[in-house]
Amino acid sequence: MSATHFVRKQFTWTASWKPLTVIVPSLLFCTLLSADPQPPRRQEQHFKVEAHPVVTIHNPNGLITVKAWTKAEVMVISNRASDNVEVDAEQMGNRVDVSTHAASDNVAPDDMRADYQINVPEDAELQIHNDSGEVNVANVLGDMNVETVAAAVDLEDSAGYVTIKTVGGSFQCTRCAGKLEVSSISGNLRLTDIHSYHVHAQTSTGNILFSGEFLPNGIYRLKNYSGVIEVRFSPADSFDLSATSLKGKVINEASLTPKSHQQHFYSRFGNSLFGTFNAGRAKVELTSFDGTINILKRD
Amino acid sequence: MATITCKDFMDRLDSWMGGNPPSDAEAHLRNCPDCSNLIEDIKAICSEASSWRVDEIAVPPRIWLSLQSHLEQEGLIHENRPAEAAKSTWFGGWLAALPRPALAGAYLALLIAGAFALSHPINRQTNEAWLAASQDSTLPLRAQLIAEQDSFASFNNANPVVTASLNKNLAIVDNYIALCEKSVQEEPQNEVARDYLYEAYQQKADLLAQMTERGENNR
Repeated sequence: MSATHFVRKQFTWTASWKPLTVIVPSLLFCTLLSADPQPPRRQEQHFKVEAHPVVTIHNPNGLITVKAWTKAEVMVISNRASDNVEVDAEQMGNRVDVSTHAASDNVAPDDMRADYQINVPEDAELQIHNDSGEVNVANVLGDMNVETVAAAVDLEDSAGYVTIKTVGGSFQCTRCAGKLEVSSISGNLRLTDIHSYHVHAQTSTGNILFSGEFLPNGIYRLKNYSGVIEVRFSPADSFDLSATSLKGKVINEASLTPKSHQQHFYSRFGNSLFGTFNAGRAKVELTSFDGTINILKRD
Repeated sequence: MATITCKDFMDRLDSWMGGNPPSDAEAHLRNCPDCSNLIEDIKAICSEASSWRVDEIAVPPRIWLSLQSHLEQEGLIHENRPAEAAKSTWFGGWLAALPRPALAGAYLALLIAGAFALSHPINRQTNEAWLAASQDSTLPLRAQLIAEQDSFASFNNANPVVTASLNKNLAIVDNYIALCEKSVQEEPQNEVARDYLYEAYQQKADLLAQMTERGENNR
C-alpha cells in the first residue's frame, strides 16, 4: 500500500466516522426530548391512611393481589399491559380509589389489562370489581365486597363481613371468620377451615365444599341447583341439620337424632333429611335441586 | 281427640286455608309452634298479596319492608349488610338494577309473582289450579325478560373472556329455568321447585342487567 493511498484511506475514515460520534448522540437526545412522555408501565404509589380505610379497586382484567401489612398506609403497585390503558390511584380522605381505564378508543382486549399488588392495613375495608383475571386477598380483617364475572376469587384469613359475587368465577376461602355471603352461577365454592358464624353460599351449577367449624348459634346455608354440596363435620360439632335435594341424593354419615316435628313444605317433596347432631346449637341448611348432598365426617 | 302429626297437618292445610279447619288440625296447631308459625306466615303473606292486588302500581313503602321481612324469614335475602355490600346478592343485584325501567318492572313482577304463588292457589284444590296460578304469575315476568334479552341480541363486550362467560352463564340459567318450569308443571304444589324457578328468573334478570351495563359501557 502506497503512502498516498494510506493517507487517503485514513482521511476517508476520519471524514466519515468522526461527525457521526457527534450526530448520533444528538439525534438520540432530540428523539428523547420530542417523544410523547409515557409514564412507566410499572408504578408504585403510597397513601397515608387512618384507621379503617376504604380501598376501592375497579379493574376490567388482571391479577389483583391484596395483602395486609402493619403500616398505616396503602401501597399500590400497578403494572399496565400496554400504554393504551391508564391507572388512576387517588386518595379522598380515608379512602383510596384505584381504577383502570382505556387511554384511547379501540383498545385491544389484551391491552386492556392491569395487574395490581396492593398492601393495606389489616382493618381496611375492600371493594373490588374485577371482571376477569384473578383476585387474591390475604389477612385483611375488614369488611369486603368482591364482584367478578369470570375472575376467580381466593381469600385467606379474613374476619369481616365478606360478600362475594361471581358469574362464572370460582371462589375459595381458607380460614375465614366473620360473616360470609357468596353467590355465583357456575363457579365452584370451596370453603375450608372456616370459623364463621354466618355462611350463606349459593351457586347454580357449581359444587360447594364446606369444611369448618359449626359455631354455636351459627347459621350455615348452602344451596345449589346441580353439582355436589359437601359438608364435613367433626364429632364435636353441634348442629341442627336440614338437607333436601329435590331430584338428587342425600348421603349422610352423621348420627342424627330425629326431629320431633317434621319441617313443613320441604319434607313433602324430594329427598330430605332432618335431624340434630349433638345439642343442635348451629343451624345447617343444605338445599339442592338436582345435585347430591354429602354430609361426611371430617378426616 | 286423636292428635295428628305435622305431616298430617300439612295434608290438611288446603282445607284449613279454604276456611274449613279440621278440628284435629286446630288441636295440633295449638300445641305445635312450628306449624303455628307457618300458618301465621301464610296469613301475613296472603294479606300483603291482597293489598298488592288492590294497588299494584304504587306500592307503599311498608309493603316493600314487609315483603323484605318475609323474604328474609324465608332465607332468600339477608338484612344488616353494608351499603355497598347490599349489591352483592342476587336480591341486591336486582336492587342495583332498579333504575332500568324494564328490569325494574320485571323485578316488581317477580315480587308480585312470588306473592301470588304463595297466596293465589291456596283456596284451590287441584294441581291444575296451582299450575295455572304459577303460570299466571310468571308469564308476564318471562315476557319482560325475553324482551330485555331481545334488546341486545348480540352482546359483545370488549373483553372476550367476559363475553364468553356471560353468554355461557345466560345459557346455563335459561336451561335452569326450563328444567324448573318442567318440574313445576309436573308438581305444581312443589314449593322447592317454585322457589328455584323464581330464583332462576332473578338470576337471569341480574345477568341481563350486567350484560346491559357492560354493553353500554362498551359503546
